[in-house]
Amino acid sequence: MARIAGVNIPTNKRVTIALRYIHGIGAAKAAEICEKVGIAPERRVNELSDSEVLQIRETIDTDYMVEGDLRREVAVNIKRLMDQGCYRGLRHRRGLPVRGQRTHTNARTRKGPAKPIAGKKK
Amino acid sequence: MPRSVWKGPFVDRYLLKKAEESQEGKHKGGIKSWSRRSTILPQFVGLTFNVYNGQKFIPVHVTEDMVGHKFGEFSPTRSYYGHGADKKAKRK
Repeated sequence: MARIAGVNIPTNKRVTIALRYIHGIGAAKAAEICEKVGIAPERRVNELSDSEVLQIRETIDTDYMVEGDLRREVAVNIKRLMDQGCYRGLRHRRGLPVRGQRTHTNARTRKGPAKPIAGKKK
Repeated sequence: MPRSVWKGPFVDRYLLKKAEESQEGKHKGGIKSWSRRSTILPQFVGLTFNVYNGQKFIPVHVTEDMVGHKFGEFSPTRSYYGHGADKKAKRK
């Protein structure tokens, strides 16, 4: 089991896949990291030597913002919008879509499960 | 897609003039503006604008955070007070 970037313990999957278990690392960054460290992306995490794992850990620590730091930054950005009183902030406060999507129907991701309206049916 | 950098930020000319005058102490109580489309520039920081929302002028005090946004973002054009309780009343 390899611990990278704090709490994450990716499994015995291919390195490019396993790295995606870290919040803030997706397909593109995982591939980038593999290239930087010089690890073939097909190799599996349990095949890596300790020094290679260490190298990965270091590149992530120095070059990428992941996990807690990233979450905090996103939260702060949203907070800033809300405090400013700008339109996007208002939408965040209301829990409605921020980027101009329709809300007549859909928008369920932001609004959550549909609430029944009293007296709608006849 | 964001605006091309080489064009520079868009601001209605008259706002620049008014902001300058306002720094000299004119326009007490804020600059009246219909230009919701104008970008907020660093030289506007600390000034108050009254931005028209189609009905009223909403006072907007410009802070450093707001630079780069448009004036319209701070002057909501819609009001929504939730769906009425009247429906419930009708049923009972």
